[in-house]
Order: sequence, then C-alpha cells, then structure tokens
Amino acid sequence: MRTVHMIWSREVRAFVRAFSCGVSVAAFLAVAGWTFVMLMRRYEGSVLQVQTLWGLSVAPWLPLLSAVVTMRLFAEERASGMIELLLAAPLRERDLVIGKFLSALTIIAVALSVAVLVPALVLPSLCPAVQGLVRASALAATSFLLLAQASAWCAVGTLISVLFRNPAAAAVCAMVVCGGLPVASYAVVLAWMPSVRSGVAWMPLLAQVYDFSTGQFSTGVLILYGSITLFCLFACSKALACLRLRG
Amino acid sequence: MLEIDHISFSYGRRRVIDDLSFDVAPGEIVALTGANGVGKTTLLQILANLLIQDTGNIRLDGVDPLERPIRYRRGIGYLSEMCPLYDEMTVEAYLTYRVRLKGERTLRIRRRVSEALELCGLDKVGREPVRLLSQGYRKRLSLADALALRPKVLLLDDPLAGLDAQLRRRLGAMLSAISSRSAVVVAGHEIQEMLGWCTRVVLLRTGGSALFYRTGEHSREALTEQVGRQVAADTGEEEACVPST
Repeated sequence: MRTVHMIWSREVRAFVRAFSCGVSVAAFLAVAGWTFVMLMRRYEGSVLQVQTLWGLSVAPWLPLLSAVVTMRLFAEERASGMIELLLAAPLRERDLVIGKFLSALTIIAVALSVAVLVPALVLPSLCPAVQGLVRASALAATSFLLLAQASAWCAVGTLISVLFRNPAAAAVCAMVVCGGLPVASYAVVLAWMPSVRSGVAWMPLLAQVYDFSTGQFSTGVLILYGSITLFCLFACSKALACLRLRG
Repeated sequence: MLEIDHISFSYGRRRVIDDLSFDVAPGEIVALTGANGVGKTTLLQILANLLIQDTGNIRLDGVDPLERPIRYRRGIGYLSEMCPLYDEMTVEAYLTYRVRLKGERTLRIRRRVSEALELCGLDKVGREPVRLLSQGYRKRLSLADALALRPKVLLLDDPLAGLDAQLRRRLGAMLSAISSRSAVVVAGHEIQEMLGWCTRVVLLRTGGSALFYRTGEHSREALTEQVGRQVAADTGEEEACVPST
C-alpha cells in the first residue's frame, strides 16, 4: 500500500507539472462545455433533464482524455529507460500498475469534478429557471457512472502504454481502442444480427449515461466496467512481467 | 555470495551467453568486458532480474530470483547504462523517493540518503534540480541510487562512459571504497582503467563463451594487451581495442 501511495503521489505531481496534462484537461473541459451548451440549445423544451444532457456531453470525450492522460504512464518510462530501474527495484509489478493507474484516474476525477460544477452551480446561478431542476442525487449517479467509464478507459490506456515506447503512439492506439472499438463492435453486432438489437441495447455508452441520469441504477453496468478495469490492470502487470522474457 | 551456475541466454536464435558459470565473493570487484554486442549488458540485466535466463541458476546468498524475486532484488543495486532520472525532482528528493520506493524503513531513510550523497560527492548539490546536473553528476546520482540501500551486490553498466579522466579516477576510488561493503560487478570497455581497481576480469566472447583472469596473477600491461587482443579477435580488427598506455 505504501508503494502504491508513493507511486501515485509522484505520478500526480508529474501530471500537475506536465504541460500536456494541463492542456488536455483544459481542452476536455472546453469541448465538454461547448457540447453541453449545444445540447441544451438543441433539446430546449424536451423531456431530457439537465443532468442527462451534461452526462451526454461529457461521456464521448472521456476516452480521448483518458488516452492522453495515460499515454505517458509506462511509455515514457520505457523510452527513458526508467522502467529498468523500476523493474530492478524490490517492488511488485502489481503495485506499480495500480499506483500509476490511480494517478491517471485522479486527474480524470479532478477534471470531472470541475466539469460537474457547470450544471451544479454555474448554470443555476446564471439561469434562475433551471434552479431546482438539477437533482443532486441524479447528478451524483451520472458522475459515478462517468467515473466508472473513465476507470475502464484508463485501465485500457495503461495497458496500451506498457506495450509502447512512444507516448504519442500509445495515445493514438488508446484513442482508437477506447473511442472506436465500442462503437465499431456495436455496429458489427447490429449489422450481423439485427434481431438482437433489444438484447444488446445496453451496449451504447450513452444509453447507460441516460439510464443513470434518470435514476435507473444498474449494478450490471458497474460490474461490466469494474471487470474491464480489473482485467486490463491484471493484463498490464503480466505484460510488465513479460518484459523480463523478451529474449 | 552471488553464484552464477551454467546460465545460457539467447535472443531468438542468437546465443549471447552460453553455459556461463562464476561466483562473486564479498569485497570483490569483477570487471565484465568484451567487444560490442557480446552480452555484457544482457548478463547484467539477467543478474538484476530484468531478464530471465533460458537455462541455469543464479543465487544470491542462496536466494533464487525466480523463486523469491523481491527478496533477491533487495540485495541488488543496479546502475543502468542510460542513467535515467526524474528530471523534475531535486537530487535529494529523487534519492529519498527511490530509497522509500525500495522499501526502506521510514526512520532510516534520511540516514541512507545522506550517506549515499556523501559517498558519491553529491552533498553540495542536494537541492539542485536533477535536470541541471552535468553528465558526471547524473552518473554519480544514479550510482548513489544503486548503493543507497547497501546492496550485497552492485551491478554497474558502463559507469565510466562519457566521463573525463579525472571523474573516471574518482569513480574508481569510489568503487574501491564501496567494495568493502558490497561486491561489485562492473561492465565496460575501459579495461586499462578498470584493471586499476578490479580484482577479476571476465572477458565475454562472441558466441557466449567467457575467459577469466585474476588481476593479481598478471601484470597490468600484460593483461591489458591480452584482453585487447581477444577483443580485437572478436571484432575482427587486428589493432583495435588495445588501449594506448
């Protein structure tokens, strides 16, 4: 636990000092805010609630933010050679992976916390008509789901980061996997088996956001994201151990 | 203390280390040398548990790295050829972080860090950011990191590369001082300088075999010439690698 905490705190400090991290978080907040405004304009007068629109405006950008934040975790260490010192030190690969993963998740949680201020505080103060419409519990449930999704994206990004020496290549690969793969696989399933549409209707990520924001709390969805996270972190520690077998 | 017992290692079909055996006793400084690509770094990486040998066993005071890797690594200090460091930290913060990461008890951390800083002549630059250090100081900081926990064996990959003559002499003196508490295995090409402080030479040859020399049994000049000739034969250059005196 102490090792995990040490790695986490060092990585968070490195994130805070990294120019790329500040830029990517700022870009995420700007783009998510812009999407939120666009959705508010488009669905004005509809049955969609403010927290739903906020969740729908943030969710599509999370995979991209996760890919950029996680790209440097291991790829940078491999490029600089620091990975050798880490693997030669008396610490478990598991602790290394968890510490780095948690640091990336912390940055994303901070970005989400800043983003949630818009529907929770900024919007009600600017527009009195919205006051009382934003339910704190629904907003918390939406944020919780977004954090669960971010955790899965971060775990995938961390795994991809172990496989590359170049952080930019790791980011591109993570963006393709996190952003493109769920959409592509859903499209493939629907194209091959249109009859199962109702059975796999939970797959689109935005539908889950809609459900959570309207109070339909699903444990299955959380288990799905938890499983993806655990599997990727396990694979990540095994991939690190495999670096010892590269001969 | 460190027993290397019939180890072999290949990169794909290319055998780099073939049935190599030797021991490193406490207080010894073993120089690993040979032409480029003969497997000096590979051997050090195997000893540091960064690579796993195809066959054979390694033991450090009876501890097998494949069975108890954490305990084995606790007894090893490793200096990488690239000397990677976290540039955004200060010298002291970096060492403290590394010592903590390696699991040292909280009460001893400060003492270990100040000992290592003093031993490597870094006490005056403790508050400097790592990114401002010269190549020589970066090497010293990496060395301080490797020896801070008083490992049983220090594995140093090309520590003399990129240093001027004065720094090389200082590093040699430093290693002689360190050898009183840790055995040292040092890889490099600067055989003439290494002969000034090492107790044994392991000359790795193309194909994975090795030749062993005890420095006390040969004169420095004769050994330099002999090793240089073998390295030249391996690289296929008649007059290469015999350092001028």
